[in-house]
Amino acid sequence: MTATAPSTRSRPRALTFGNVWLSVALVAILFIYPFVFGKAMNFGISTLLFAGFAMSWNILGGWAGQTSLGHAALLGIGAYSMTLLATPERLPPFLTSPLAPWWGALIGMVIAVAVAAVWGWLTFRLQGSYFALSSIAVALVIRLVVINSNWTGGAEGLFMPDLPKFFGFDLFDRETEYWLAFGFVVLTLVITHLIRRSRMGYALQAVREDEDGARALGIDPARMKLLAFMLSAALMALGGSLYALYLQAFEPHTILELPLSIQIALLAIIGGRTTIQGPLVGALVLSIFGEVFRNVFSNANLLIYGVLILLVTLFAPQGIMGLFNRAGSKLGTAR
Amino acid sequence: MTAPTQFPELTPLPGQPVHAPSGPPILKAENITVRFGGVVAVGDISLAVRPGEILGLIGPNGAGKTTLFNALTGFVTPSGGRVTYNGRDITNMQPQARAKLGMARTFQVERPFEDLSVLENVLVAAFLKYRGTKAEDHAYAVLERVGLADRATQPAAQLNLARRRRLELAKVLALEPKVLFLDESIAGLNPPGQQEMVALIRTLAHSGLAIVMVEHIMHVIMSLSDHVICMAFGELLAEGDPHEVAAHPDVIRAYLGDDND
Ligand SMILES: Nc1ncnc2c1ncn2[C@@H]1O[C@H](COP(=O)(O)OP(=O)(O)OP(=O)(O)O)[C@@H](O)[C@H]1O
Ligand SMILES: [Mg+2]
Repeated sequence: MTATAPSTRSRPRALTFGNVWLSVALVAILFIYPFVFGKAMNFGISTLLFAGFAMSWNILGGWAGQTSLGHAALLGIGAYSMTLLATPERLPPFLTSPLAPWWGALIGMVIAVAVAAVWGWLTFRLQGSYFALSSIAVALVIRLVVINSNWTGGAEGLFMPDLPKFFGFDLFDRETEYWLAFGFVVLTLVITHLIRRSRMGYALQAVREDEDGARALGIDPARMKLLAFMLSAALMALGGSLYALYLQAFEPHTILELPLSIQIALLAIIGGRTTIQGPLVGALVLSIFGEVFRNVFSNANLLIYGVLILLVTLFAPQGIMGLFNRAGSKLGTAR
Repeated sequence: MTAPTQFPELTPLPGQPVHAPSGPPILKAENITVRFGGVVAVGDISLAVRPGEILGLIGPNGAGKTTLFNALTGFVTPSGGRVTYNGRDITNMQPQARAKLGMARTFQVERPFEDLSVLENVLVAAFLKYRGTKAEDHAYAVLERVGLADRATQPAAQLNLARRRRLELAKVLALEPKVLFLDESIAGLNPPGQQEMVALIRTLAHSGLAIVMVEHIMHVIMSLSDHVICMAFGELLAEGDPHEVAAHPDVIRAYLGDDND
């Protein structure tokens, strides 16, 4: 910065979008990936989807500071809704074929928002770690309902039916799925940057740091947490729909279980929950580690997660992005 | 001016107490009682403030001053009594709703949002009345007013005590309140810091703000307020002109007892 500049233009700004260039760089890498690693599309798609899940989780977990260990349920709502409603006979007659699966995705988002509203209304009266515990319980209830119902395929799960082409694109083609997942990540990233610059973003950070302090400044903590949860839920369900496309067939124990919820939370926490790009970086780093070490150890994922959680809690409570920031690097000036 | 050997707390403060124009009170509390289990933290206290008035609240440690503030600002629900704002009953209103009405309070132990910068801390408050860059402009103007503009980008966690106090004040001022509750904003500051704060509070009262302030330092209250309430063990001890209250035997006894610990 230059020395004295009296004009008001040079005064410090707080209302910024955060480090946009870091996001542009990360998105550029994701954009180039299929052209370079066209053979490893499965890895690319799942990495992107999990990055998007972690980004969605972080709107509640990072910005509002409410650790949820039940987000797989919201993902599941998206996956089930899209799969069930993709079957032609379940569609409302006015819907024509190219939009068919997206109708289910949209309904899934609406249901997820409604579920989050009730779930948050019930559990945000609880402080701190009680919310995390109760989120496990709520997710468990949703899983039990799914397993014990016939229309959900019960414990067997569901198959994605044949889908019509989407404006000429085959939705079961890995390349199409990559770009859909890419769009999902970009969407969550853009939304996070918008939150960063908004009144809502500052209210959420205030609530995260000190609820009574926020209340004294006219902020309703329960309302802000609920808003964050509903936004987070909508994005989770959207990602869940894409995940169902990618999996083509899934069972409740792969898509509604606690380990999946924990994994999503850990990607964000290890990457840096108080930063914009942290969850994305966490997902990329952990996926690459998992892939590299998969051939060295069996069950490498568990080992790597265990070691990384230890390292992060001991040495980098702000996650990987926090390390960058602390190193004095301008990379991702957080928030 | 003053002898350098004097204790900081005895440094005389320039300026006259503020005399508020007469008129109806903006905030009125009647017979407020707050119980915690068996402990009566506040017992049957009534008060009223008018726009432009500075009401002083004094009393030894544990007298119930902060608890009374909490009851008036909605952080604690009183077990008895009634709070009205412009004639409207707000006894059971949430703190955030009271903030929107125009009531603002500082905390005795300052609580900045430590992860946020100084400017961002004030911005959170500025969003109550303004949107977008207008809120940011407003937040910065308030920082200039309390003399923190040069620290705008610093993380709030790095501020020293005097600056944390000013930040606390900047946050409530950014709310553009009509009634201001200050919980020991001056104690602990060095003499120049005290004088600045006293001058600022006086300006605020002259601009029409109703102020209720808790302060241990008697001569600070005397230099600002023409009406004080003294509490001990939750009860009202004396009320009225600060010089008379300070000379009241019960008040002297309460403070001497306090000094023995
Ligand atoms: N949340 C609470 N639960 C139980 N007791 C409380 C609570 N808050 C305050 N008290 C008690 O109420 C009494 C009054 O406390 P309060 O903090 O209001 O005093 P104060 O006049 O502000 O004192 P100080 O000058 O030390 O700030 C004390 O005995 C205190 O221990
Ligand atoms: Mg107190």
